[in-house]
Amino acid sequence: MLESGKIDGKQFTVLVFMFTTGSSFILAPSMLASEAKQDAWLAAILGVVVGVLLAWLYHSLGNLYSDMTLVEYSEKILGKWIGKVISFLFFTFSFLLAALVLRNMGDFITTQFMPETPIKSIHILFLLIVLMGTRLGLETLARSAELFFPWFIVLFLLLVIFISPQIELEKMQPILEEGINPVLRSSFLIIGFPFLELVLFLMIFPYVNRPKEAGKALLMGTWMGGVILIVLTALTILVIGADQTTRNLYPSYYLAQKINIGDFLQRIEAIVAIVWFISIFYKLTICFFVSTLSLAQILNLKEYRMLVFPLGMILIVLSLVSSPNIVYLASVVLYVWPSYALTFGLFIPLLLLGIAAVRRYV
Amino acid sequence: MIVILGTLLVVIVIVLIEAPSLLKKGLKKELWVFGILLLFGTGLNIAQGLQVVIPNPMDWINVIYKPISDFIFGILR
Repeated sequence: MLESGKIDGKQFTVLVFMFTTGSSFILAPSMLASEAKQDAWLAAILGVVVGVLLAWLYHSLGNLYSDMTLVEYSEKILGKWIGKVISFLFFTFSFLLAALVLRNMGDFITTQFMPETPIKSIHILFLLIVLMGTRLGLETLARSAELFFPWFIVLFLLLVIFISPQIELEKMQPILEEGINPVLRSSFLIIGFPFLELVLFLMIFPYVNRPKEAGKALLMGTWMGGVILIVLTALTILVIGADQTTRNLYPSYYLAQKINIGDFLQRIEAIVAIVWFISIFYKLTICFFVSTLSLAQILNLKEYRMLVFPLGMILIVLSLVSSPNIVYLASVVLYVWPSYALTFGLFIPLLLLGIAAVRRYV
Repeated sequence: MIVILGTLLVVIVIVLIEAPSLLKKGLKKELWVFGILLLFGTGLNIAQGLQVVIPNPMDWINVIYKPISDFIFGILR
């Protein structure tokens, strides 16, 4: 095996959790409210339910070949050449995802904190830590995630507690004003935007030391991350209303700006930023790790670490090119992404599972 | 000019970090892949630094997947 590290079920749960919250922590509320308005929380719940079903699909595929990664068994199931083509497409999917996640991060910093710094330098700085994490390997990464996990939870709870006095239940009404269709449209967006991406974990599955735990951990992590997204979306709608949520690109950040306890405890929006940096770091590193590992396995290399820096250089350019501006991100990337992710997150796993089942029982 | 020099400097550092251990272990194929990717990355970075227009892969994906998104959002309308 290329990667010698082993992680346990708990660490795997934390990684899945971080990945699910990832960039969605700050982008999901506005994305959901754009179609579903005040029913965004309903769309989030629906999305999480589908997300758990998807996690269950990956769990059954992963358990079928519990000592191989997606790239390895797609070659085994589909034959050498078709398998390699599919794996290569999978590599482009994870690499493009890494570029977009890096771009989300750069957009956030340039619009909220440092408007005059060139976005490229922020990308380079953030990517350096990611490259370091990838070179250190999966085990180190998982352990550090385990350390950060309590911080994440504590800071998130602080946000929930401090903002709860401002909840106004009437902002949620009327429920289902325009029927169920806007809710379905929104939940399609959130299914594509973190949940179909969970397919990347099929590359990490074999590195969990007890294969039985891996499936459970995947389901558990998806649930926990999903609950965070539901709570966050509901809070945004309840406190700042559907209208403001749609108009803001980063409503959860705006939400934290509204915290005001007795005119004393205020302007603590940095906690949201910190929570988000933690989770987006893990999302980006997992995407990048999976890209590197899958490319190395497609080409049958004996090592993957030397690919880290060259791919990093390509990623910098790709992140600048792939979503030239925020309008493009909102109108093209977010619109097309769910169907693109559907190919890799649903179609390919189902195809592999189907063919493997036919081969096994016929 | 400074873009080209800066990029080349970074490339030299990367080669100094990675190449010796690959050479010592005699991993020829790995060295080739490393070299090709690094060359590609260098080219891209210099082109980007000189503000050459680089094609956006998201545009290609948009061409292929926009009809599918149109269809799915259409039936939910």
